[in-house]
Amino acid sequence: MEATIEVTGLRKRFGGTTALDGMTFTVAAGQVTGFVGPNGAGKSTTMRVVLGLDAADAGHALVGGRPYRELRRPLHHVGSLLDAGALQPSRSARNHLLWLAHSQGLPAKRVDEVIAVTGLGPAAKRKAGGYSLGMRQRLGIAAALLGDPPVLMLDEPFNGMDPEGIVWMRTFLRDKAREGRAVLVSSHLMSELQDTADHLVVVGRGKVIADTSVAELIAAASGDRVTLRTPDRTQAMTVLGRAGGTVAATGADTVTVGGLTSGAVVALLTDNAVPFTEIAAHRASLEEAYMELTRDAVEFQAGQS
Amino acid sequence: MTTLHAEWTKVRTVPGTVWLLVGVVALTVAPGALAAGAMPSGGDPAKSALTGIVVGQAIVVILGVATVSGEYGTGMIRTTFTALPHRLEVLAAKALVVTGLVLAAGAVAVAGSVAAGEALLPGGLPFTGPVVRAAAGSVLYLGLIAVLSVGVAVLVRDAAAAVGLVLGLLYLTPIVATLVADPTWHDRLRTLSPMTAGLAIQSTVDVAAEPVAPWSGLGVLALWAAAALVTGAAALRLRDA
Repeated sequence: MEATIEVTGLRKRFGGTTALDGMTFTVAAGQVTGFVGPNGAGKSTTMRVVLGLDAADAGHALVGGRPYRELRRPLHHVGSLLDAGALQPSRSARNHLLWLAHSQGLPAKRVDEVIAVTGLGPAAKRKAGGYSLGMRQRLGIAAALLGDPPVLMLDEPFNGMDPEGIVWMRTFLRDKAREGRAVLVSSHLMSELQDTADHLVVVGRGKVIADTSVAELIAAASGDRVTLRTPDRTQAMTVLGRAGGTVAATGADTVTVGGLTSGAVVALLTDNAVPFTEIAAHRASLEEAYMELTRDAVEFQAGQS
Repeated sequence: MTTLHAEWTKVRTVPGTVWLLVGVVALTVAPGALAAGAMPSGGDPAKSALTGIVVGQAIVVILGVATVSGEYGTGMIRTTFTALPHRLEVLAAKALVVTGLVLAAGAVAVAGSVAAGEALLPGGLPFTGPVVRAAAGSVLYLGLIAVLSVGVAVLVRDAAAAVGLVLGLLYLTPIVATLVADPTWHDRLRTLSPMTAGLAIQSTVDVAAEPVAPWSGLGVLALWAAAALVTGAAALRLRDA
């Protein structure tokens, strides 16, 4: 089967709250797609609908071209981690994986394999209820890997992970995408996805705000601006402003200039004998780009409540 | 088959299961032995020896509810339906596994009760046809209580609410019946009460005095169990997990 997730026109209301308002996007194979948006934007609800746990009021979700509920042994098609705490605390981690394996017709040998891959090791014999959140996330990943699926869908997998765990998770996600799998990872923190995601689906208030590659998003947010470091900020701003630049002070000795090329900025400063120590094309961080995109969505929510 | 295998693995890997099954046996045999030792003359020996079913069934209710509500309480149910999206198959597998375990524990409990009755009853417990029917029927009674509990738990989800509802249905309807003076309604209530009707299967002396015939009474309980399971199944299909 093809490694994709297709979500088309999903709508869902919980009482008076609209959770999904025409959510539409596609997750392609061979890359990590970040699914980002503020809390309450509809990320988890979308994932629950994809897995057939919640029914949408309208629209449909397909995995590899088929509705999830029609899949037999679905863990061979999609590995998912929605809630790392969704297990019985008195059962050992290994036995949790064992019943899941049995549900898919997989042997116990496969359980030991995913335990090794996720680094659970000897802790797998302990009760899952005693696990830290980071350990539970690893257990959830082990469960998602059981059927060696072409599609992975993980909701906030970085939550509760220590720095070593975050590095492990990033490498893991990139590796799975490189193997040709479709990987969808949600997060409410864009910084977690920096250097991990290739593509981004940014959502707010139940619908997609932006569906773009990470490179394009950063380029758009950066604009054609130039960042300048100078010990004489006032003089630099006067000179560049007079020449038609849009100038903004961004720090004690830094200035961001719009409307002038870096060549023009260097020429103007040299001609007017303004000293400067550094000049560079401005590059927005993913976080900045994301904040700009989701500001409206967040403000609307804050205004409502 | 994979669904059944998964549910079996689940039930045998939580420590609570085995203790609840031990509880079913102990709480069935002990009261039966006490009742058998104290049976007044003219009493029903099978009924006395099998009195413990009335107590042991409470543990069956807890076990049946726990297999379903335990998953709703922890959120585990979403993991289950992610691995096994065919919900009715999951419900069927759960009902089968729990009922199978309860029938096994019930058989041990009833065998223990019969043995205790044979030893403690003034005239022993003769192995007549009605006594065998009472013993086998008591095992089936516990199995049906398990099905009833699973059905109600799927409907109600919350463990405390489900246990309360089933125990109330079992123990309170006979009490309500005793409060009704009108003889027609008194008998009707006793015929409809899942416990009173179901336990008619234990009657071996003066069977005609029961509000309902032995197998018909067990049939009433079976209808309750089936209704709970079907209603639960319908809710399971329609509701979000």
